[in-house]
Amino acid sequence: MTNLPQTTSNNPYPAGKGRILQHKGMMIGSLIVIFVMLLAILAPLIAPHDPYYQDLLNRLKPPVWDTRGSWDHILGTDHLGRDYLSRLIYGARISLLIGIGAAMISGIIGTFLGVMAGYFGGRVDMVVTFLITVRLSMPVVLVALAVVAIVGGSLQVVIAVLGLLLWDRFAVVMRSSTLQIRSMDYITAARAVGCSTARILMTEIMPNVVNNLIVIATLEIAHAIILEAALSFLGLGVQPPLPSWGLMVSEGKDMMLFEPWLITIPGVALFALVLSINLLGDGMRDVTAPENRN
Amino acid sequence: MMTNKTISFSLIGALAATMMYSAAYADKSNDTLNIAVDRELESIDNYYNTAREGIVISRMIWDGLLYRDPATNEYIPNLATSYKWVDSKTLQFDLRSDVSFHNGEKFDADDVVFTMNYLADPANGAKPARNVNWWTNAEKLGDYKVQLNLKTEFPAALEFLSGPVVMYPNEYYGKVGPEGMALNPVGTGPYMVTSVEPGKRYRFTKYDGYHSSSPKGRASIGKIVIRTIAESNTQLAELFSGGIDWIWKVKPDQAQRIQEQGNFTVKNSSTMRIGYLNFDASGRYGENPMNDVRVRKAIAHSINRDGIVQALVKGESIVVNSLCFPSQFGCTQDVPTYDYNPEKAKELLRDAGYPDGFEIPFLAYRNRDYAEAMISNLNAIGITTKFTYLKYAAFRDKVQDGDSPFNFGTWGSYSINDVSAITSHFQKGGKDDYSRDAEVMKNLNIGDTSVDLDVRKDAYKKALSRIADQVFMFPLWSYNTNYAFTKDLDFDPTPDEIPRFFTATWK
Repeated sequence: MTNLPQTTSNNPYPAGKGRILQHKGMMIGSLIVIFVMLLAILAPLIAPHDPYYQDLLNRLKPPVWDTRGSWDHILGTDHLGRDYLSRLIYGARISLLIGIGAAMISGIIGTFLGVMAGYFGGRVDMVVTFLITVRLSMPVVLVALAVVAIVGGSLQVVIAVLGLLLWDRFAVVMRSSTLQIRSMDYITAARAVGCSTARILMTEIMPNVVNNLIVIATLEIAHAIILEAALSFLGLGVQPPLPSWGLMVSEGKDMMLFEPWLITIPGVALFALVLSINLLGDGMRDVTAPENRN
Repeated sequence: MMTNKTISFSLIGALAATMMYSAAYADKSNDTLNIAVDRELESIDNYYNTAREGIVISRMIWDGLLYRDPATNEYIPNLATSYKWVDSKTLQFDLRSDVSFHNGEKFDADDVVFTMNYLADPANGAKPARNVNWWTNAEKLGDYKVQLNLKTEFPAALEFLSGPVVMYPNEYYGKVGPEGMALNPVGTGPYMVTSVEPGKRYRFTKYDGYHSSSPKGRASIGKIVIRTIAESNTQLAELFSGGIDWIWKVKPDQAQRIQEQGNFTVKNSSTMRIGYLNFDASGRYGENPMNDVRVRKAIAHSINRDGIVQALVKGESIVVNSLCFPSQFGCTQDVPTYDYNPEKAKELLRDAGYPDGFEIPFLAYRNRDYAEAMISNLNAIGITTKFTYLKYAAFRDKVQDGDSPFNFGTWGSYSINDVSAITSHFQKGGKDDYSRDAEVMKNLNIGDTSVDLDVRKDAYKKALSRIADQVFMFPLWSYNTNYAFTKDLDFDPTPDEIPRFFTATWK
């Protein structure tokens, strides 16, 4: 009797637990992201002080490792005497909220446009491709700066503006993924048995592009966090007294030659979070890529 | 482990090492003073820029008919030898006959008549308009005698003639116009311009022919180079490395650290700029808690002005109770005052029907830290703010469009030492006026148009007292400027925030 060759798994989520655990980058990224998320969620329990409480008599106290520092304020105090560690912890909330919020808005817009363009092709594809080209021709930071300068910065405005500006990568990837899938046999079969377009899109197309969607989403979360930091650094992002990491860098900038920790601490936090999200995204791409499935 | 100090010096060293500067190192040995400013001038022509740096440079290149002594605030003839009020709308000047412009052109009545009539013509677009829109024309009464005809009574005329209104050479300016003057300025001032790199670098040399009778005095330092360096940390790095030897607008915390280092002289001077809170008392924004005087008084009692001045503003700044800078003519601090008293503030809020406070939009455009400190004070009495920090132009437009019930602003009065430059600007029915109070406007009108000093003072006092009593605007504190410079330099700042480099000397 001839042994039949083993068929590949039909599981659209083939990333095995072992493969994930072997991916060092992904593991490191995941651990840092989980750590920051825990900080954000548990901020009221972990933060040693009220991040908004000002003590003007205790301004610019250095961190504990400096000879002038104390354990009362482990990471020191800012220019208004607010506890830097508490602001850093609460700042994680803002960064993640903006990153995830903006990525969700842009993900919905980009995925809708990309899947429509890829599935229907023709004029729909032309229109969407034109929209993507228009969007790509606009410098994101400049447009965001202009909009926020006109309407004023706030958490909601920053999320909305970034969400409306970062959908292009979703649209491009979703379009090309859908283009590849739409001529597959199972899509033709679904059409042949009379499935509606909506059903085909939701049950046949989406599950097969969702891996790409997640990878792009992680990259865009990191992108949005960096952009928020840039806007806040320029004074046009999250408004005080909300503790944003970009705002903390901006507020510490004037003293960077004298108290470098003021910008180093939020800068390192920002670097670590963005790096870890990117590592996580890269790892997810690697473990879900077709070449790793067998 | 590296100490904090080591890290700081490493950072400074690294920054300094990457600096590219073609200018010669500044020191007294080559008699060159290198100065950094943070703003690019749109034009060096005195009448086509509004930046403070332009005012500073203007005082170096040009002279006015009069000069205000910054120590005594007395108006002293400069290009004029004497002046007299013929009536409340007519001024006559006798001019000096021994003055020459930098290009050799003799100064006489024709230059004054040309300059004043050129500026009076709105078609020429001299700015800011308020500096030049108060006279009708100038007439030549002799080679060295002119008459200035005012549109209406304008008591602040002497202040303007001793500051922003400077005299141009009629023949040269008539030939080259604003463009030529911007590239090759010619005046009668203590310094002449040797090169202009627009927006980047200006070089000056002491004018040896400067008239000895000038109250400004002859310049001592031979050469001055003014460079634009926009970023404050880069300015500091250049100062530390010796590329620059005079900077200003140094932040209070930076100034304190520089002083602690002991390598540079740090001086502080109060300026005419004051901070204020502006409330929508008259309902321009619509119905809101600021319409109620008890709420405005509650806010006045909630702000810890002394604490903020001591911790953040620092320097020579003082708390001000009246909507003007104390040295300005007509300014009095003898008005109703509001001490820091959160309990009283809460009581007033309760009386006004806001026992649990309220939320209100709050705008600011500068000093975000001061704004945040005030927000914290307001939170303490139950008022929460929807805070928006805008660029100045956006802030100004929003406020002037009536779209702000509550904002934190500042006003420098263009260094005009007269109450009309601030109180009348904000409270005489203009775009920034949110109270539109008939009594205040009536008194300001009297003060702005009378040439009787006592009448003016009395009218301004009534207006300022009413503003304070009704808290139409709440004055906060005066501002100050920190100057940091090489220890080789002897330099004294002045309260009008106009550094006079012609009075500086090498030690």
